[in-house]
Amino acid sequence: MATRLSRRSVLKGAAGLAAAVPAVKRSSVFAAPAVLQETGSKVKITYWGSFTDALGEAERGLVQRFNESQDEVEVEYQYQGTYEETAQKLTAALAAKQTPDVSLLSDVWWFKFYLNRAIAPLNDLISKYNVDTSDYVDSLWIEGIRDDVQYWIPMARSTPLFYYNKEMFREVGLESAPKTWAELEAVAPDLTRKDGDTITRAAFAHPSAGSYIAWLFQCVVWQHGGRYSDENFNIMMTSEETITAGELYRRSVVDGWATTPQDVNTDFLNGLTASMMASTGGLAGIERDATFEVGTAFLPEGPAGFGCCTGGSGLAILADKPAEKQEAAFKFVMYASSPEGTAWWSQNTGYMPVRKSAIQSEEMQAFFAEHPNFKTAVDQLEKTRPQDAARVFIPNGDQIIGKGLEEITITKSEVRPAFESVQKILEEEAKPVLEAIEALRS
Amino acid sequence: MLGEEMQSGSTVPLVAGERAGATVRGATRAKPRKWPLREWLLFLLFIGPNVILFGIFSYWPMIYSAYLSTRRWDMISPVKVDVGLDNYRYLLSDDTFQKVLWNSLYFAVGAVGGSLILGLAAALLLNQRLRGRDGARAVIFMPTLLSGAAIGIVWAYIFDPRYGLLRTVLNVFRIPSPDWLGDPTWAMPAVIIVYIWKNVGFTTVIYLAGLQAIPRDLYEAARVDGAGPFWRFRSVTLPMLSPITFFLVVTSILSSFQAFDIINVMTRGGPVDATNNLIYYVYQQGFVAFNAGRAAAASIVLFVAMLIVTLLQLRYSERRVHYG
Amino acid sequence: MASAQRVWVSHRTRDSFWRLLGYLGLVLIIVVVGAPIFWMLTGSIKTNQEIYTFPPIWWPEDPVWENYKTAWNAAPFDRFYLNTLITTVGGVGLELLNATLSAYALVFLRFPKKNLIFILLLAALMIPTQVTILPNYITLSDFFGQSWINTYQGIILPGASTAFGTFLLRQAFLSLPHEVLDAAKVDGCGHLRLLWDVVLPMARPVLVTFGLISLVAKWNDYLWPLVVTNQDRMRTLAVGISYLYNPETITRWGPVMAATFFVIAPLIAIYIWAQRHIIEGITAGATKG
Repeated sequence: MATRLSRRSVLKGAAGLAAAVPAVKRSSVFAAPAVLQETGSKVKITYWGSFTDALGEAERGLVQRFNESQDEVEVEYQYQGTYEETAQKLTAALAAKQTPDVSLLSDVWWFKFYLNRAIAPLNDLISKYNVDTSDYVDSLWIEGIRDDVQYWIPMARSTPLFYYNKEMFREVGLESAPKTWAELEAVAPDLTRKDGDTITRAAFAHPSAGSYIAWLFQCVVWQHGGRYSDENFNIMMTSEETITAGELYRRSVVDGWATTPQDVNTDFLNGLTASMMASTGGLAGIERDATFEVGTAFLPEGPAGFGCCTGGSGLAILADKPAEKQEAAFKFVMYASSPEGTAWWSQNTGYMPVRKSAIQSEEMQAFFAEHPNFKTAVDQLEKTRPQDAARVFIPNGDQIIGKGLEEITITKSEVRPAFESVQKILEEEAKPVLEAIEALRS
Repeated sequence: MLGEEMQSGSTVPLVAGERAGATVRGATRAKPRKWPLREWLLFLLFIGPNVILFGIFSYWPMIYSAYLSTRRWDMISPVKVDVGLDNYRYLLSDDTFQKVLWNSLYFAVGAVGGSLILGLAAALLLNQRLRGRDGARAVIFMPTLLSGAAIGIVWAYIFDPRYGLLRTVLNVFRIPSPDWLGDPTWAMPAVIIVYIWKNVGFTTVIYLAGLQAIPRDLYEAARVDGAGPFWRFRSVTLPMLSPITFFLVVTSILSSFQAFDIINVMTRGGPVDATNNLIYYVYQQGFVAFNAGRAAAASIVLFVAMLIVTLLQLRYSERRVHYG
Repeated sequence: MASAQRVWVSHRTRDSFWRLLGYLGLVLIIVVVGAPIFWMLTGSIKTNQEIYTFPPIWWPEDPVWENYKTAWNAAPFDRFYLNTLITTVGGVGLELLNATLSAYALVFLRFPKKNLIFILLLAALMIPTQVTILPNYITLSDFFGQSWINTYQGIILPGASTAFGTFLLRQAFLSLPHEVLDAAKVDGCGHLRLLWDVVLPMARPVLVTFGLISLVAKWNDYLWPLVVTNQDRMRTLAVGISYLYNPETITRWGPVMAATFFVIAPLIAIYIWAQRHIIEGITAGATKG
């Protein structure tokens, strides 16, 4: 509907006026015939995105570059609010049957639309256009596959990254970041400053559930050999490995070297914490605002070695669109994740390039040389793996786990009972998902 | 909460007129009954648009919610599974929900009490002929105009236990600053403080309008009778303000039960559910977990709770309210 | 308060005591309520570093006026101003009309079981917005055969009725001195004339106050205008601020605060004007009577 209105405005020739006059009187009787609706031979599609500020400009820029690069498809970009708001609006739009053709959906949202057959399977289009799927960064590509069918194409992808204040680490005799949690724990008391009972400077800081502590802790669990769950939604919050990882978090606050501030990034920028785990998405802003030398490194390793997850958002095409629109949308999606598209996007936003050939390209290599911290993030990308189903596919899974972690880091509760109750809730909430998957397969 | 004072105030003979019941007065007194039917039609004509719009955009969604509260639905699927009263049973047995109920009550008492008492005090003050009063009036109303993220960031800065403004103030009195927003014990008081800061201008403005409507001669008469300022406040101001106070108590309780923005911006219901109230729970279940049935059940609980509180107030408080 | 008991001993001492207390109160209001606002105001010309520094910087050495330009260019704010003006004027007008007529009906007209209708209206105050969003979106997407998504009437209509205003005006109408009203009726005054010539002028402070509250609510409304619009050409100022707030990276708070202030600037001006208006209304009415 939205697109039809705008098209009509263009046809009227007085876009400004038509836009200002509410479209009450023009009922569907006046809708232009199908032939007229397509100006020229271009297929017009609508794209719902979620970015603001500099990222929003880049998103608009990407759409504009696509529109200028060919003359078959014209994309209209429409900003819809945060990831959360975009998913909410898409839900409402589905109920009202007024959906866009293609939408940005974050890691925790796309699955819900998949379960309801709201987003289109893309395998046919992928083979029709001979897309070289092996060129996509594996962990990112795999995440959008269900039962061998591709639904979700990586776009604005990020990963956790270890940030540290180089000056503070130098003070305690460390030139580089700690390789393991044990190393960090060993120097943590030296990095910490106290004024009575108040920690005025912490060695490390944990975010709140609302700031996605469960996303970051997922990596720590992997580093300890555990998982939130397997692919079949068997919840594994109470395995010894997961508990051991929880104990590390609990020790960090009980021993008094980690804090739980309102905003971890702000604390880091103000020198109130010497290190943190945070999204690669914040890198550019942190480098811009920091008054000290910012170091970045791979996440610390645990007893089971390295572990790092992916995050961010990807593109999905709506299932209720005619083939012609879906194909047009697919062309846009392919442009956005093409080696050129992703390289441009990555340089302008700080998100990860999603194509191996883009990472290897001269252009990106030159960019890495200028931005060594960004290179760390991209180097780490190759070692990432897709997230656990319990966090991304169980509705609210992220917040349920996050709350359990808040109990450990804020109220310093014992790990086992906290995770036991998380386990119980997750098992309960997984049931409808499993039923839906069952229904989808039959 | 000002009920007692209202009651004692309205017995003072300075105040003319009767103690009215809830609604009936006016036309019936002077006019002979001529055309009740015509008056009924006019009544319907006047109140119709308001009620019809509510019917479409408020009552219908609520009725729909009542229906959804017996279903399991993810807000997309064409199938809404009938689960009977399971959603209500879930809420009753859910520890989080019990905490949420308690939080809503805690928040309502703190927020309503604070903004009414401070609002009345500020209105009385700003009604005096004092220099700089217009400026103070503008300042106190400003937070009401502000919305969203900017409030969150400024108060996070104020509350920070290590470098916040409040810590500096508390230091002067040698009181250690709690970790306001990070500590489950202090997060709720902190959110209430911000809510009062944001809304006190609102109650002040309404009280100010109410004060304007009090005829000056009542004060003159009280003065002639030798009443001091405190007694004039009890015998004239409070009873004359009682309709407004009643209005503010009812609407403030209702809006505090639905306080969403400040919690969403400042704590997102945390830490560990310390500030998770009913409306935030409805939002979380509905728009984050996409569990429409549970969200609907919680919203029905919220609605019934507010309805009971309001009916009790209409029944027991409005009798004490003094009209004209 | 102890001194209040013997205040009439000397008018002079009493007056200066209360005046002193009054000025202390004013200072308290201005400091407690005003300090965070002043900090935000200067925040709009600071960099992120300056915003987070402790002790707080009350006035930056090198003000970043650029923030206002950055903010203004981040979204089509000129268009958003126009949209907000239209939706606010429409919304406030309809709310005032509905509140006045409904309150008048509830107070001055006879109708069986009027109390129940009053309670029915109050019930609307107990229905949270969150519950109405999805059903209203669906209703408006096919409103008598037309889609009102992405239209001004779609933004305005769900907020055109008011229980809050009806309740507030009902309270005000009930408090009006009934001698005047009775006198008007004895004169054979019809309902419309009674409303227009007698009730409304007498209730002016409350009317203006409600208009002001309604104005602020409509101007700042975020969730519904965001949900019901898809395109920039229909969006409002409150939605515009979110174009600057970036949860994905580190938000630049300077421009956010700058936008916050240029968005509410008209409200501040109207508020100051309305306050005068309320006072004038009173002094004109009450002191003469």
